[in-house]
Amino acid sequence: MSLARQRWIPLLWLLAALASGWIVWTTPVVADLTLFAPRADPVAELLLDQLRSGPTTRLVLLGVDGGSEADRAAVSRRLAERLRPDGAFARVVNGAETLPEADLQALFARRYLLSPAVAPERFTAEGLRAGLQQRLAELQSPLGVFQKRWLAEDPTGELLGLLRLLQGGLREPAKRLGVWFSPDGARALLLVETRASGYDLKAQRAVVTTIRRAFADAAAGTEARLSLSGPGVLATLSEDRVRAQAEWLSGLSLAAVVLLLLLVYGSARALWLGALPMLSALLAGAAAVGLLFGQLYLITLAFSVTLLGETLDYPTYLFSHRRAGESVDDTLRQLWPTLRLCAATTALGCLAMLDSGFPGLSQLGVFTVAGVTAAAATTRWLLPVLVPPQWRPPRPTAVGDWADALLRPRPRLALAFGGCGLLVIFGLLLKAPPLWENDLAALSPVPRELLQTDQALRTALGAPEVGHLIAITAPDAETALQASEIVGAYLDRQQRAGALAGYDGAMRYLPSGETQRRRQAALPDAESLAANLDAALEGLSFKPGLFAPFLTAAAAARAAPPLRVEEVGDSLLGVRVRSLLTAGARGWTALLPLSGVRDAQALAAGLPQPNHARAYYLDLRAETNRLVAEFREAALPRLAWGGVLIAAVVGWGLRAWRPVVAALTPVLLALAFTVAALLALGERLSLFHLVSLLLVLGIGVDYGLFFSRPGADADLRRRALHALMVCCASALIVFAMLSTSALPALRAIGLTVSLGAAASFVAALIVARPLLNRMD
Amino acid sequence: MKRWPLVLLLCWPLSGLAQDGFDQVMRLLAAVPAVEGEFREEKQLAVLQQPLVASGRLYYRAPDFLRKQTLSPQPEDYEADGDWLTVETPAAGRRQFDLNGYPQLRPLVEAIRATQAGDRNTLERYYRVEFEGAPEAWSLRLTPLAAEAARYVTAIVLRGRGARIASVETLEAGGDRSVMTLTPR
Repeated sequence: MSLARQRWIPLLWLLAALASGWIVWTTPVVADLTLFAPRADPVAELLLDQLRSGPTTRLVLLGVDGGSEADRAAVSRRLAERLRPDGAFARVVNGAETLPEADLQALFARRYLLSPAVAPERFTAEGLRAGLQQRLAELQSPLGVFQKRWLAEDPTGELLGLLRLLQGGLREPAKRLGVWFSPDGARALLLVETRASGYDLKAQRAVVTTIRRAFADAAAGTEARLSLSGPGVLATLSEDRVRAQAEWLSGLSLAAVVLLLLLVYGSARALWLGALPMLSALLAGAAAVGLLFGQLYLITLAFSVTLLGETLDYPTYLFSHRRAGESVDDTLRQLWPTLRLCAATTALGCLAMLDSGFPGLSQLGVFTVAGVTAAAATTRWLLPVLVPPQWRPPRPTAVGDWADALLRPRPRLALAFGGCGLLVIFGLLLKAPPLWENDLAALSPVPRELLQTDQALRTALGAPEVGHLIAITAPDAETALQASEIVGAYLDRQQRAGALAGYDGAMRYLPSGETQRRRQAALPDAESLAANLDAALEGLSFKPGLFAPFLTAAAAARAAPPLRVEEVGDSLLGVRVRSLLTAGARGWTALLPLSGVRDAQALAAGLPQPNHARAYYLDLRAETNRLVAEFREAALPRLAWGGVLIAAVVGWGLRAWRPVVAALTPVLLALAFTVAALLALGERLSLFHLVSLLLVLGIGVDYGLFFSRPGADADLRRRALHALMVCCASALIVFAMLSTSALPALRAIGLTVSLGAAASFVAALIVARPLLNRMD
Repeated sequence: MKRWPLVLLLCWPLSGLAQDGFDQVMRLLAAVPAVEGEFREEKQLAVLQQPLVASGRLYYRAPDFLRKQTLSPQPEDYEADGDWLTVETPAAGRRQFDLNGYPQLRPLVEAIRATQAGDRNTLERYYRVEFEGAPEAWSLRLTPLAAEAARYVTAIVLRGRGARIASVETLEAGGDRSVMTLTPR
């Protein structure tokens, strides 16, 4: 090997690593669900928008437990006071807030445009008289004390109707000592809406810190404890949990693998050399995705790291095959055809995913292809220049006779094993379709007790579930509001028929300009109104001239410009409207959350389609499940195509069909056994299992290739066995530890890969050689 | 200046006497298990030329049930039971409120309910209480402590004889006033 080569290869690698590192550093990692969304599907886009930034994702639910009831109430008040001035929160409510006087006045000023009760018959002599009699009854009642102040300006009682409308959005929890409490009184409740999206993990993390700090201040000197939940909080808390568990488990398994490698090879150099291909794979994969997509999905990253576990095996093959009397480069040159095939099969297996309609699948494909290529190249060209040509690990000097005993072909055992495998495959085919888990909640890494807290807080607060809603898209706000009113009228009819319990929508609080103008037209001109009022007052004991302010207000309302969405401001009305009516890149979206839906299909089927707008019925849970299922259905045939490509490349590499059969039969059997074992353990297969099976496919093919290496002498076979035992043992260590995790995702990956690695090893050991021998 | 301590000293037995009277009346009221009576209420409001007159029945059951059932001029029913207030009107139907959620409402209920229950602690939580007279003929002047309540109500004056409340006068912030007179059945 030339000196020049000694120098420029590490230099090249370092430059590539630095460049990749730079790209990875500057690529944003996003933690959302768009990777499941096929491109150009409007329903999916709306849905994901909702999941990403809809009003329900921005809620944080808080509970205060412990201490006395008075303590909990006081802590709730102090906490709300501390949080309200913070700009991160759109609203903080705990039941103690009263509508600010300014909001009340603003509503009052606009009452004739905003109140749904405004209609011509309300302002005739008879209509006004009915209103005045109603007001007299109110004055009579004990509550009249509080309503008197509005009387002179609002004889028809529009303000009361408006306030009732604003309160109607949420079912309020019970109150004790003036603040919200759970029904049993054990927990004071608060509801916070953040300005940041629930999936902006950085912002949500800051929110959690702010809330915890404010709580520590507010609860100082009491026994009160805080529990908090909500989509954003769950995401950050579960990220923390996953990270902590993954770090702990991977730290532990790293230590175990280091110990294993030290024991096996007796060399520290083997350790850091062994880490280089995996490191290169991660850098190259992430950089390739960053370059091609501009962003990296968190889940892709997690899946890809799992998939690249195979690259840890490449240096192991080298170490176990080092023999005295040949240089590192020689060993690699001998190994290269097989190693090259190992990498090529994995890369090709993922190639079919590149052009899928799902960005998540494409990213996974790019990551794996780039990563595996980089790892193989690093093993082949970087490792030999980093060590002296004659370097080899102190062990193994020779692999002993025990290996021959293990390696002796046992055709009968192989036949029995293969027969069993065939039966399992038939069984699986007959049992089809297998149990697939499409529920994202089951895929979610959120620990169970956090979900229970969430459910408890949600039930107590009556916060809207992320459930059924109607989304209306329109080019402008006015069209969106008009369309909402049409859909609202439809929903009113359905509600009377019992098809749903209720609904909300921006048009309840801010009617369209058209409707506001219609209400203006319902107000009589000043002269007729004065005459009607005089007639209505006949015989009632109101003081003369008392209602002059009403006549002035009605005249002003007739001339006022309609209230527009740009003018609603930060009042209670404004917050409510803006959470339900938003401007996006492609126009405006109005949301009508539904509650208590009986028959979603019938409701969706009858949905009117207003002019110039589109109305979509979204069942968030069903839609996300549909997306996950479609994602998987798109992935499966691509995996099958990947399998065909793998067979083709192995055939091309080995140039004979027999070794191909010998190399590929074991992995087929291993996959069947793994799936059968998973089903027998009662697992419902999710995306995590599927991706783990991809890794099993990758390492299973490698095992088959090495056990059936053509032209291998007895010593090479022993060394291959040694290498594969080390690979399999380290895979088992790492993934068996993951499978002990309580988190569904980690458990799924750990269980699948450890089962698969063991099955691949056993299958390759038993089946590969007899197949090859029989055909020799 | 020098005379002040002397005046205070002279007043001491008097104030003690008033306190004794208050406690005595509270004890008398607390001993009553249930009350059923009729009421007549007259409201004088600035916005009206004539007073509003209403009548109906009042029920009380120790310790915290109070029902005001208006029969004329139109039926209305207010029922305070523990922390809950149930309102029934022909126009709006039946509605329930948690009294804890309405800091301006609770004192109005407690003015009558806690007085009839002889519950001095509850009264003093919401009002500054001034007692005058003797158990045979007494009056209680309640001035709201909380700003939310004081915004609407200046004072409530209850007059009674022994264990019986005879009238409740409410003085509102804007000068309006109402008097409710009670007669046992």
